[in-house]
Amino acid sequence: MDQKRVKKEWSLVMDERLYGELRAHLFPDDGDEHGGVIIAGLAETERGIRLLARQFVPARGGVDFVPGKRGYRALAGRFVAEVAGRCADDGLVYLAVHNHGGTDSVQFSHDDMASHLRGYPALLDITHGGPVGALVFAHNAVAGDIWTDDRQRHALHHAQILGLHPHRLYPEPLAVAKFIDPMYERQVRLFGEAGQGLLGDLKVGVIGAGGGGSLLLQMLARLGVGHLVAVDPDRMDITNYPRIVGARRRDIAWGMGTSKNRIIKLLGARLARPKVHVARRVAREANPRVRFDALYGNVVDAAVARHLIDTDFLFLATDTMQSRLMFNALVHQYLIPGIQIGAKVQADPGTGAVDDVFAVTRLVLPNSGCLLCNGAISSAQLQREALSEGERRRQRYIEGEDISEPSVITLNALGASQAMNDFLFISTGLLKPVQVEHILMSPRERTMERVRLQQEPGCPMCSLSPGSLYGCGDRGQLPCRQ
Amino acid sequence: MTPAVQAAVTEVEQSFPGHRLDVTPESQGGAYVIVHDLNLGGRYAPATSWIGFLITFQYPYADVYPHFVQADLKRIDGANLPSGFSGPIAWNGRQALQISRRSNRWTAGVDTAAMKLAKVLNWIRNV
Repeated sequence: MDQKRVKKEWSLVMDERLYGELRAHLFPDDGDEHGGVIIAGLAETERGIRLLARQFVPARGGVDFVPGKRGYRALAGRFVAEVAGRCADDGLVYLAVHNHGGTDSVQFSHDDMASHLRGYPALLDITHGGPVGALVFAHNAVAGDIWTDDRQRHALHHAQILGLHPHRLYPEPLAVAKFIDPMYERQVRLFGEAGQGLLGDLKVGVIGAGGGGSLLLQMLARLGVGHLVAVDPDRMDITNYPRIVGARRRDIAWGMGTSKNRIIKLLGARLARPKVHVARRVAREANPRVRFDALYGNVVDAAVARHLIDTDFLFLATDTMQSRLMFNALVHQYLIPGIQIGAKVQADPGTGAVDDVFAVTRLVLPNSGCLLCNGAISSAQLQREALSEGERRRQRYIEGEDISEPSVITLNALGASQAMNDFLFISTGLLKPVQVEHILMSPRERTMERVRLQQEPGCPMCSLSPGSLYGCGDRGQLPCRQ
Repeated sequence: MTPAVQAAVTEVEQSFPGHRLDVTPESQGGAYVIVHDLNLGGRYAPATSWIGFLITFQYPYADVYPHFVQADLKRIDGANLPSGFSGPIAWNGRQALQISRRSNRWTAGVDTAAMKLAKVLNWIRNV
């Protein structure tokens, strides 16, 4: 690993299920020490290095976790070799864990640190450069000592627990005193200064800056989210004007794109603004302090997708299956909670008569049942979208002109509003105990349906089956275009 | 080619030993694959054909369909080719008949390009 890594902040991310398993093993209310190993992936960006917990392997007391020659207890050599070998085979990170007493603060003992010095150089070799490390947990605290292949040691800054009620663990309580802009006074009355400060620290990605995405981005900016990343490959056209918030006539080149004059039409298409640039302007008007990365490109391309791997929350507001697959992969491979929104008007292709109108909000948390498991990703549509337009025409997947589906701002707003409230109450810890479900809204019938989620045991994205992407981070392969 | 597409090509190669394989990478990370001299059973003339298909860059999440066979394929009993065949159309620089056999229950990580080719071949032989 290069020297630049030394200065980066290291953190650990784990889902609620894994944290529950870990707590149950480390703290069975017997007052004793227990141990095990977290097998993790890794994501490295300018923002820091995140260790992505994939699996907890408990060490059986007296068998795998035994009285130490120098310290109180230690992982048995055979157990270490077996788990480290698995990490080496899969290119994953080995993190030994044990617990100490105490509640809100924790640190390694001298014996612990000495054992790292004795053992971790060899573990780095066994795991082909790791990283490797150790974590020590108290009830509400964690400390970490991470070793990289340059023999540098890095302290863990915090652990992020993901789920409907996310929270962080630190080595000791943090003294938090942040300036809160007076314009958020009414919001602070709902989720407090800590909640507002938390929103300001978040980096949130939105894939799609069209009808749905523009609503999400404006609301995120107005809520005071500190860092937004918007991704969209399209420029504005006149048919977007009724749905994209903050759009101006200038953004659609005053409608030149609809001219019958070919030159004016081409000029109009070139002068029209990328949708992400419109979203950036709207966001900055809403919150002058917001950091906004406007990515005029397709999330299916690896270079674009990389900008999203260190986001704290991800929204998907597009209508392509390819981007839906990418979103699902980012959520599970990089452990980023996300929400997909969509609206659909189903009409009879012959008569144009409206059959069904609905909006959907799909909350997708790591380990809650992914979009693949719940039938929301069509393998056939993925195949068709990868064809060139010529191939689609020849293979008769496009009949006549490519006709756009109906789309209305009020339907987009329905899904966006539910998604933003889910995001807000999850992020600020105000969500009541609920199930993770998809929500299907039918405004013509004025009904709302909750869809319980499935999780397939062999899923290549959200399960722990061999070769699955779950928690692998940079050590896995995103389904990107090359 | 993506690693998954490369692995799929290798599996096709191993599943159809003795058959020449033409593999042409496409620009997004997928590959056009043609497997030659496949026996179509006793109902067609010619009795053997190449079968071609595109493995797209989002394989194994994407289905592998449609498949293509040589354009001059006919039933030996003179009947029309069964529904599921269409064309001829231009595919990958040649004329071909298209066979649309979409998988309604494609499962990523379980279904593979080689399995799909075997199923399509089985369908051709028995339809």
